[in-house]
Amino acid sequence: MDLNALIAVMIILPIASALFLNLLHKKDRTIKIIAIITAVVLPIIPLLTPYGSHFFGGYLPLAQNSTLAQGLPAIITGTQLSQFHLGIMYVFSSAQQLMIFILGIITFFAIFTFINETKKPSGVYAFLLFMGTASLSAILLSDDIFNLFVFFEIAALAQVGIVVASGIKDNYETALKYILIGNIAGPLLLLGIVMLLGVTGNVNVTDMIFSIKNGFVDPQSPVLLMALSLITFGWLYASGLPPFHTIKSEVYSKALPHGAALIQAFSVFTLVAIGIIIIRLFSYNPFTHIAIIGISVIAMILGITMALMQTDYKRILGYLAVGELGYIGIGLGLGTALGITAGLFQAINESVITSFLFIGFGTVLYKTRTSDTKKLGGMMYVNPKVALLVLLAGLAMAGVPPLNAFQSKLMLIQASIQSGLPEIGIIMILLSIVTFMTFMKAFYTVYMRPKPKELEVLDNKIPKSTIISLVAFLIICITLGLFPQIATSSLQTLAAGLV
Amino acid sequence: MVVDSQLMSFFTAGSLIVIGIFAALFLDNLIKKIIGLAFLGDGVNLFIITMGYKPGGIVYIFLPDMTISNFAQTSAYPLPFALVLTNIVIGASTLAVILGLVLILNKRHGSLSASKILRDKGE
Amino acid sequence: MNIYDFILKKMREVQKKAEEDQPITNITASAMLAAELTLIASVLVAVIMVRLIHPVLMIIMIAAVLIIAVMARPIMPRLRKEQNDDLNNMMFYIVVALGIVVALFYWGNLNV
Repeated sequence: MDLNALIAVMIILPIASALFLNLLHKKDRTIKIIAIITAVVLPIIPLLTPYGSHFFGGYLPLAQNSTLAQGLPAIITGTQLSQFHLGIMYVFSSAQQLMIFILGIITFFAIFTFINETKKPSGVYAFLLFMGTASLSAILLSDDIFNLFVFFEIAALAQVGIVVASGIKDNYETALKYILIGNIAGPLLLLGIVMLLGVTGNVNVTDMIFSIKNGFVDPQSPVLLMALSLITFGWLYASGLPPFHTIKSEVYSKALPHGAALIQAFSVFTLVAIGIIIIRLFSYNPFTHIAIIGISVIAMILGITMALMQTDYKRILGYLAVGELGYIGIGLGLGTALGITAGLFQAINESVITSFLFIGFGTVLYKTRTSDTKKLGGMMYVNPKVALLVLLAGLAMAGVPPLNAFQSKLMLIQASIQSGLPEIGIIMILLSIVTFMTFMKAFYTVYMRPKPKELEVLDNKIPKSTIISLVAFLIICITLGLFPQIATSSLQTLAAGLV
Repeated sequence: MVVDSQLMSFFTAGSLIVIGIFAALFLDNLIKKIIGLAFLGDGVNLFIITMGYKPGGIVYIFLPDMTISNFAQTSAYPLPFALVLTNIVIGASTLAVILGLVLILNKRHGSLSASKILRDKGE
Repeated sequence: MNIYDFILKKMREVQKKAEEDQPITNITASAMLAAELTLIASVLVAVIMVRLIHPVLMIIMIAAVLIIAVMARPIMPRLRKEQNDDLNNMMFYIVVALGIVVALFYWGNLNV
């Protein structure tokens, strides 16, 4: 059996499962069983799939496809046209394997928590979660930029659906704002992609890079620069970098905790995927790196200072998540192999830690039905184990050894110093300290200070599944913190190829 | 004066995009914002189609009485049309979701004014 | 009047302009102070990076940031009020960002 077909299974399985679950809405037991089976299988598939490419429809390039190349004139088979890719191509290597594996783990725990926290799991909600995961896997794998755009739009719709399904106050308004803004940024991203198509004649990124590097296209042509700016703008929307940080943090705060954990994973991996494509296509332009670093620094500063000013702990987490995106962007923008490896490692760590935090703080919502820090307090006595786990999650986010973010932030600081930009290292250290301070402020107001008299703590026990999810995330954080080579060795090949 | 139809088509696409962004930004009524977004999507679609234009080109269906080299040299560029079909579907589904949300919000607030419904709630 | 009362007085002034009537707690005041210091410190350090373009430009920009930080304090309550959840506010910044991104990539590329 051609195991390379497993690359397509990574996308098709969650989509098929999602459609099936949507049909089975209201049959609770069947939904639980199918959702858990799919969520268990999802992280396993990338571990079994061999590295390679998958050509949809079997359309290899003409140079390797003698049956199709028969009878074609020499103007096609004798020139570069025979090397160009005919159909949609997915590329699977060690970096994609690690990222899709982590995405699968986060999806598994999100589904696990969702099924055990709600009495009647909704098939439609599970559909949205799985469609989002499928879209993100496709975005990470795709070498075809239009295919990436299609799945990016599907992911945006899935995120809107996750917000609408949460039942939190004002979630419909947030969903409408998000989709209105998305409907401006999405078509502009498509316009950028189409300008690239017009200039290079291709939608496959590998072929476009070949055309730009080998003089088929003028690298300084104004259409190409316009395409770069529009694709960068679409990238800002997809990842939640400024000026989209307010709407993204609002989206995180209006989704249920496991939904928010998944949505932030979507944002992080979209940032990585589209950021890598921008670097691959446009790194000949030195301004690309300056722009990415500039935007990331602004994201870090705005995200973390705004997080300090919030009183709703979900907004605090939302803004902290946006601030941490800046670290990833800096890694990608530095452009060196160490920098890009550090940025990708930080992306993986950040998605795990933020999911950990969202699900951990979500237990507070589960017990008290409120997320306003002004009304909360004394939750440590309600469930000390969860309080300890949340504290460890916060330490992880701040970059305390031996947890994972310490390793990635250390690599980022080393990379920035090596690139001749120690100021970025200083800002990163300063903002890590402030992140820690923000987290401790949230932790103190929710867990440590005396419980206000008006606060009503419900009697329902926190499901064991939530605690298992939190412990599992903690184990991942400690493992990656003590043995960062597990992740960095997978990411180094991709980083070396981008320099 | 010979009018280059492809250039005019690009201008039309560009003006549709600009009108769409203007409407989405400055008009207060939610339905008008949505119509502006539809303009934006249509402008991008027209841009894509115009890019596939080839003067004197034939439809890209390989009929039995054509030779391959003749077909390769005269057919219009088919890829943009595939992209447009996909984009129209994406646009339609997004439009459906937006209109559904506006319907619910209209029932809740009794108004279609974006500044009234989508303002800062002061958290 | 010590510094803490001075800070509270400034925060109340900004709040009165914003017409919010939430009480300013100890935690809010200290958080705002920390955010203000973080913002000024990070912006100053970030501006030092301009030394790669021209050292004199860097000195001018540092002086400008310091003067703005002193004259326009407190910046954080106003920044927080600006980054609210209003759709029109968000759209404004999005279009400004689009304009800046397009202009920078299109023309900024020429001199780098």
